[in-house]
This record gives sequence, structure tokens and C-alpha cells, in this order.
Amino acid sequence: MDRFDIAIIGTGPAGLEAAITAKIRNKKILLIGNKDLSLKVKKAHLIKNYLGIPEISGEKLADNFERHLSDMEIEITEDKISSVYAMGDYFALQGADVMYEADSVILATGVVLEKAYPGEQEFLGRGVSYCATCDAPLYKDKTVAVIGYSQKEEAEAAFLCEVCEKVYYLPMYGGATPTDKAAIKIPTVKENIEIITDKPKEIKGGMKADVLITSGAELKVDGIFILRESVAPSQLVPGLATEDNHVKVNRKLETSIAGCFACGDITGAPYQYIKAAGEGNVAALSAVAYLDEKKRKG
Amino acid sequence: MVKVINQAEFDEVRNSELAVVDFSAVWCGPCKMVAPVLEQVSEELTDVRFFNVDVDKNMDLAQEYKITNIPAILVMKKGKVVNSQIGFAPKDVLVEVINNAR
Repeated sequence: MDRFDIAIIGTGPAGLEAAITAKIRNKKILLIGNKDLSLKVKKAHLIKNYLGIPEISGEKLADNFERHLSDMEIEITEDKISSVYAMGDYFALQGADVMYEADSVILATGVVLEKAYPGEQEFLGRGVSYCATCDAPLYKDKTVAVIGYSQKEEAEAAFLCEVCEKVYYLPMYGGATPTDKAAIKIPTVKENIEIITDKPKEIKGGMKADVLITSGAELKVDGIFILRESVAPSQLVPGLATEDNHVKVNRKLETSIAGCFACGDITGAPYQYIKAAGEGNVAALSAVAYLDEKKRKG
Repeated sequence: MVKVINQAEFDEVRNSELAVVDFSAVWCGPCKMVAPVLEQVSEELTDVRFFNVDVDKNMDLAQEYKITNIPAILVMKKGKVVNSQIGFAPKDVLVEVINNAR
């Protein structure tokens, strides 16, 4: 397998600037994200404080970013990383279908706005799971609730139906009214799925989670799967120190894990494009220094 | 070294002063990733015994220890759970989890 010097996750200003700086320093980089770069940039109406560009729309700024990348021959790998594993002397990044390897990692995935449900953190690993594929067999012939934040989680729910006795599915997407949500059809063999249009409120339990409280009912369950679009930094990189849902960093943008750096909104406010880009530059240079040091030590 | 054991051999854990038991399964990605890291930890903490239990083959043990998510890495003194780490963790974190249980 190809081992990259630096894997950069995220294609907003922080990730792109990190990629550009790392490329100038001749590092073998893997830039993972979206070919559309960043919705947050594209949707910006007018940006007035980006140095050197007195006034620019988000869309135009994104065009400039794209030109900068193609001038530097930097390519974006379109994938979604679900986990980054610190293996000791390298990192393994779990993509949708493939695993990537890199000596260092720069996290630039932006900020996660969704808040955890009361009880979620407390019962994580004790009835609350974020990964259906990983933990489904532990709920064989049991009752589970699945909170799905996008349509693609329906496949996960269908998979759980094969294993579990009963599955409650709570879609967090779809139309604005409960009726729209109730129209969601998930094909299952056993017909053991129930679509719940109430909003999840709280997770309760004793030794382990056993009740999901919704806006309309109390569901007695053995497990609760919460499947979100974006993963919180502490889930993305197990063992990473965070503070109020932001990655804890120092001035060099080093995280609590050696070889792992973070930049942009993920490190906390202010959520500004030029701050993100500046941090991308710092994170890349810190990663370069880390790699040099690692090489010296052999 | 991490020793793979089953239900019948579990007394070996119960008789250990300090043991680390990794409950995992072959189909679990994070389990596969944490295994080599735990192996590194076991080489460092030579006074601790390290075991691995396949939850699929040892359902009763998994139930006894209320394993609902894997990997579940339990630190045990004479078979009594004193600390645990659920899910993958880097080496430093694992070492801390074990040392905090001493």
C-alpha cells in the first residue's frame, strides 16, 4: 500500500492551504474531501476580509481555490473518512471502501454543529453505538432504535433488520412534516421495522442504555444507533483530546496525538476563512517538521 | 504478547493479578486496528497479562461482562473489572487506562 507523508482531511480553506504548503515542501500528500471543495465557502455571499482580495463572493473565491490547486497539480481524492486510527508510527484512515496509510495527518474537517443527545456520551459503548456494521451482531434478536441523519442510513437500518428482532427507525431528514417522514419505505425481508416520526430527546438507562425518549413516546430498546453525516472529532480520531467539541491544539496546531495536527474551524472560533487558511499553513509546516524529526530518528 | 483464550480457559484471567482482556470479533474493523496497538502495549507493560476473547465464540462471557460494543478492552484485577476502554484507542491512551487501574 502507498504510504503518504501527510494525509489532509477536508477541502475548506484550512485543508487546501495545508495541501498547498505541504506540496511546496515536496511532501507526498493525500488530500481527501469533496471536489466541490466546501459548501461553507461556496455559499458565502460576500467576503471582505480576505487579504489581497478586497471583495469577493464565496463562489468566486472557491473558483480561485480551484485554480490554485490545478496550478500546483494537487488532486482531491473524493472519499469520506469515518475513522483515523493512530497505529503508533503511522495512521490508518478508513475510507468508504479503502484504507489509506500516512505518516502524519492534518484534520481540517470543519466544525460539527449537531449536539449530542442527553445520555449519548454517557451510554456510548453501553447501548449507544455509532456504527451499525461494527456492532450489529451484538444485538442479535434484540430491539434497537436507529437515528439516521441521511438517506444512506436506510441501508444500515435494513441490515440491522436482518440481525435484530425489531428496529425503530427515526429519520432526521426528509420533508418538514411527520407525514413526509412516515412515507419513508425501507425494504426488509422480515418487515420488522417501524418508522418513528417523533424527535429523539434523551437516552436513559441503568447499567446500559435501555430507553430512548422521544417527543411522543418512550421506546424500550436494547441499543441505539446514532448515524450522523459528520462525525465529531473525538469519534473521527479515537483517543483525540477535545474541548467543547473542538480539537485541543497548541500554537503549532499539534493535537494530543503525535503526528496528528488540526486546523480551521475544527480548532474553534473564530470561524473565519483567512484564519482557517493561516492555520492550514501552520499545520502543514508543523507536519513537515514532525516528518523531518521522525526521519532523523530513523 | 496477547493470548487468545476462550470461556473454558478464562480462569487464567481470574487468577491474574492484573489482566487486560480485549473482547473483539473478526468482523469488527476497529478491533482489527486496535489489536496490533495492544500488542505493542503488551510488550511495554510486561507485568500485565494480555488476553483476547472472540465474542462470537464466547457469547456467555460477553454477556457476563455486559459487552455491548466492541472492541471492549477491560482491565481486570483477579477477574474483577477495574477500568475499561470501549473502542479503538492509541497506545498512550491504552497505557494510561491500564496504569490508572493499578
